Amino acid sequence: MELTHHFEVPASKETTWQTFNDLEQVVPCFPGATLTEVDGDEFTGQVKVKIGPISLTYQGTGRFVERDEAAGKIVLEASGKDRRGNGNAGATVTAVLTETADGTAVDVNTDLDIGGKPAQFGRGMIQSISNKMLQRFLDCIRSKMTDEQPTGTP
Amino acid sequence: MTIMEERQAEIGRPRPRKEDARLITGRSRYTDNITLPGMLHLAMVRSPLARARITGIDTSAAASAPGVVQVLTGADLAAEQGSMPNAWPITPEQKTPPHPAVAVDTVNFAGEIVAVVIARSAAAARDASELIDVDYEDLPVVTDLATAARDEEVIHPDLGTNRSATWVFDSAQAGTGGDVEEALANSEVVIERTFTQQRLIPAFMEPRSTVVDPTGEQITMWSATQIPHVLRVMLALTLGVPESKLRVIAPDVGGGFGGKLQVTPEEVITLLAARRVGKPCKYTETRSETMMGAHHGRDQLQTLRLGANRDGTVTGLDVRLLADMGAYLGLITSGIPILGAFMYNGIYKFSAYRFECTNVFTNKVWTDAYRGAGRPEATFAIERMMDELATELGMDPIEVRRKNWIAHEEFPFTTVASLEYDSGNYEAATDKALELFDYEGLRAEQRRRRESGDPVQLGIGVSTFTEMCGLAPSRVLGALDYGAGGWEYAQVRVLPTGNVEVVTGVSPHGQGHVTAWSQIVADRLGVPFENVEVLYGDTQVAQRGMDTYGSRSLAVGGMAVVAATDKVVEKAKQVAAHMLEAATEDIEFSGGQFSVRGTDQGVSFNDVALATFAAHDLPDGFEPSLDSDATFDPENFSFPHGTHLAAMEVDTETGQVRVHKYVCVDDVGHVINPLIVDGQVHGGLAQGIAQALFEEAIYDESGTLLTGSFTEYLVPSAPDLPEFTVDRTYTPATTNVLGVKGVGEAGTIASTPAIVNGILDAIRHLGVEDVPMPCSPSRVWNAIQQARTSGQQAPEPEVAP
Amino acid sequence: MIPSQFEFRAPTTVDEAVELLSNGMDVKVLAGGQSLLPVLKLRMADPEMVVSLTKVDALRGVRRDGDQLVIGAMTTHAEVATDPLIAAHAGLVGKVAGTIADPQVRNRGTIGGAVVHADPAGDMGGALLASDAQMTIAGPTGTRTVPAAEFFVDFFTTAVDEDELLTEIRLPVFDGWGADYQKFTRVAQQWSIVAAGAMVRTSGDQIAEARVVLTNMDSVPRRATAVEQALAGVPVTEEAVASACAAAAEGTNPTSDLNGDAEYRRHLATVLTRRAVLAAAGHRGT
Repeated sequence: MELTHHFEVPASKETTWQTFNDLEQVVPCFPGATLTEVDGDEFTGQVKVKIGPISLTYQGTGRFVERDEAAGKIVLEASGKDRRGNGNAGATVTAVLTETADGTAVDVNTDLDIGGKPAQFGRGMIQSISNKMLQRFLDCIRSKMTDEQPTGTP
Repeated sequence: MTIMEERQAEIGRPRPRKEDARLITGRSRYTDNITLPGMLHLAMVRSPLARARITGIDTSAAASAPGVVQVLTGADLAAEQGSMPNAWPITPEQKTPPHPAVAVDTVNFAGEIVAVVIARSAAAARDASELIDVDYEDLPVVTDLATAARDEEVIHPDLGTNRSATWVFDSAQAGTGGDVEEALANSEVVIERTFTQQRLIPAFMEPRSTVVDPTGEQITMWSATQIPHVLRVMLALTLGVPESKLRVIAPDVGGGFGGKLQVTPEEVITLLAARRVGKPCKYTETRSETMMGAHHGRDQLQTLRLGANRDGTVTGLDVRLLADMGAYLGLITSGIPILGAFMYNGIYKFSAYRFECTNVFTNKVWTDAYRGAGRPEATFAIERMMDELATELGMDPIEVRRKNWIAHEEFPFTTVASLEYDSGNYEAATDKALELFDYEGLRAEQRRRRESGDPVQLGIGVSTFTEMCGLAPSRVLGALDYGAGGWEYAQVRVLPTGNVEVVTGVSPHGQGHVTAWSQIVADRLGVPFENVEVLYGDTQVAQRGMDTYGSRSLAVGGMAVVAATDKVVEKAKQVAAHMLEAATEDIEFSGGQFSVRGTDQGVSFNDVALATFAAHDLPDGFEPSLDSDATFDPENFSFPHGTHLAAMEVDTETGQVRVHKYVCVDDVGHVINPLIVDGQVHGGLAQGIAQALFEEAIYDESGTLLTGSFTEYLVPSAPDLPEFTVDRTYTPATTNVLGVKGVGEAGTIASTPAIVNGILDAIRHLGVEDVPMPCSPSRVWNAIQQARTSGQQAPEPEVAP
Repeated sequence: MIPSQFEFRAPTTVDEAVELLSNGMDVKVLAGGQSLLPVLKLRMADPEMVVSLTKVDALRGVRRDGDQLVIGAMTTHAEVATDPLIAAHAGLVGKVAGTIADPQVRNRGTIGGAVVHADPAGDMGGALLASDAQMTIAGPTGTRTVPAAEFFVDFFTTAVDEDELLTEIRLPVFDGWGADYQKFTRVAQQWSIVAAGAMVRTSGDQIAEARVVLTNMDSVPRRATAVEQALAGVPVTEEAVASACAAAAEGTNPTSDLNGDAEYRRHLATVLTRRAVLAAAGHRGT
């Protein structure tokens, strides 16, 4: 499934770019995610997903597959599997940063593939729930960019 | 006529079923109830991916988990597991991929087994199964039938194509009719339509379960199967175990609907596991595993062209099918669409017919028999087309059918599809149905609602059907390259006290054979219904048999019982003659009494039974036993038929659909037990209506089954179904002495098109031409919206002939 | 059913139960089990401890307390559906309880379990919202009360924290109100595709006051306040009510799934709202 999000931050494209490229900052922003190891462009970690009575723990790896600073484009790929064999999940997140009058606009396109039990027994709610989780992820990233903004700058 | 006299006795009585008291009070014994000393339990690890290469399996944590005895992977079993059998190569060139019970290198559908845990308890096995870590490398997934047929991505690269086989029947070549292209070219009207037969899940009540005990002289397997006999042969052929060293038992089996007409990977695995560890092993699947891993049904794309003249006479039919096999070929996967090939002409007598089916692989669980198997698809297609023709010509749907059906005086009738219909009376069944339905009254109500613009519109759906039942004459199966015959076996054993044991080669799983066979034998031997015991489902008890499917049990298995019973009577007459000091030819047998013709001298069946047992004074050379057996191979199929009428309410505001009234008049020939027949019809209707309205197995594009539980796979229950008006006409089959035809699939076959035709009849005036199955409220509403939108934009387009 | 292993506790008082929730383990609360057990069966959850409330007698039953009805969290749907106090003073709650799933589920499932589970397709949330319910929540530091309007937070998320327990639901008495719940499903036992609930007080031939709620039109049950305002003073006729309900789906955020897309759900919400309001207002007709 494809999910798209858009947000704007009152920060320069350069600051935004740096935040997006910092795995230590970006990854833990995902609800339930913890980073276990970062090695250059690659990382390993896990995501604990708790939705009502359901709790799944995905363990997996991710990496930057594309980083084009000139174009302001970042492509991050991550995939993992539930530790109890409940299913696999994979995501390709493409973020495109564009400079605006007030800061930076970020367009995020996420291609999400969730297989196994969550898809099978999710009653079609996966898309809405994934969307909410991604929204929280991006809200967190945005807040980091906003926080880092030195006070007083336009 | 003797049959008529006997029918007044037990045959024809609405006997409550003998087996029910036990089954509904928990004294049943299903496979999962079987517990053997030292028994171990299996759990399967299944692939969550629809297509992937297995790059590694780490079983170490599972192997050392508490209670675990052994962990097996495909690599461990590769040398001994063989390939799951396909018994019906429909063409000599059919492409059949290897089908390991446990995947070795690649998985091809989500739910395929990749590893097996053997443990001391079911819980330990299940816990450990979660510790097995499988690494997969994703491969491109193809789930769509039409896409797969284009071979852009080949699922089994070694086969070079996703097309397994193409099978053709052409009436011009068979000499049963003309050339269809010629017929269509000369027709005044040609209607072309495409229908989707969605994928269905058999949804039997008892999940599948297998217990294997390897510790005796024979390996004994208990399994929730419809086919213990076929299973035994196939296991022997697949695994190389001597057939004589295998005993297969189907104990109480909770439903099948074709879903247990299979030789399953789980059965093979349980046997191999038990043999390895030398201890009894049990595997019982969860419902989720049933949904993902047990075979599905239907899943065909039908393209049809029907030619007719303006007076309504059908001139020819061309059928092109794509049939979704799923990832592999199961026992008769490949033959299911072919079973429909002979039925697309339905009850009609048009003169040119061509059928072409291409079987295609996709990354879904394989399809196979499901209630009706091929015949519901055919009936749906022709009955939808007859309604389309009626609409095109502005005729009443009943009139179009009358115009084309085989008149009752024309039987026996050889159809354009080469079958010989022995008997039928479509006029009688239809007239009775119309009367019970109040056809004219409902048409008037329909007009009233249409004129007043009632938000709830009414439509009338018509469906007639016939089906080939009583599978099957062995020579026909041979001609179709099926891997076995279609005969059936029975044995009748007379105990010293006059009680009778009937051994039958069919294998009941809910149909009520015990009751019906008791009624048949009670009449023929004149013994009380209660004194007849029916034994089945164990290859050491019923040593021969072809099991239960295809509405065959009564028409074929019941006839074997009759034949064996007749032999008993012939033997008993010799003993009676000896006891009565008369000639055998002078002995008459009626109502359990042997008498000398023209005298009042007689002995009872019980007397003869006891005398035979004692064997003190029997005719010279007489073998001291009345026991007899018989194998019956039918000369022809039987052809039940019927007319079904559905009044459908469609709420045009929401798309909600409701069955307002349902009448069916079936002609299944003579009826042994009307209560059982009514039950079969009711259940069949529920399943057929479910296909029309509720059920659909849906995979997403990555091959995950989205309808993996009954929350999403909608099986209807009583509140979702109407009161059925079920009635019958009686035109006996002429091909068996019981005059029976088979009823197991009738309701399922006829009801689906009746419902869909009814929905379309309710909303066709709004511009709706089709609603794909299942006709969910959102689909119905969307169809109405689209029709309204396109109706506004452009004048109503003429249907192109 | 073979779930993962867990410790099982069945306390007899609310205090004991609350204490167990803060023991540092991953605890799940078992009420009627109609949602938790399937998840355990599928092994999509593996709690370390399950705390069953079935032996906490204080959580069961319906009583009147002044001008309020008090429903214990462990009262079953079947009990709510047939309780005379609820039928007399909280008609919508009773009607909704009678539509939940099937008789087996209604006999085991509880009102508290259902609302804390907070499935967006759950029926009871909307009825509580329309009825101005007050939710009593017990936790380690005592008891607090949350209005229904603040209780439902998101998909499967409520104001009840992990160390807390919903103990009772308090409903103000609504006398002289008609109620109706239009639940749209494909088969009887299915979750609501969409449902609309209405409580209506009429005055003469007019609607004096209406409360309208929607089920499964968002991640939480929604009150259709615009419709409620539009209905005030409207005559009880098909046309007038239809026009007031036309905006029922405004501001909602329904999901798209196998049973229908968001657009279809918005349309259904409008139709079902009109039908529910008319029925609640005692309008006889289609």
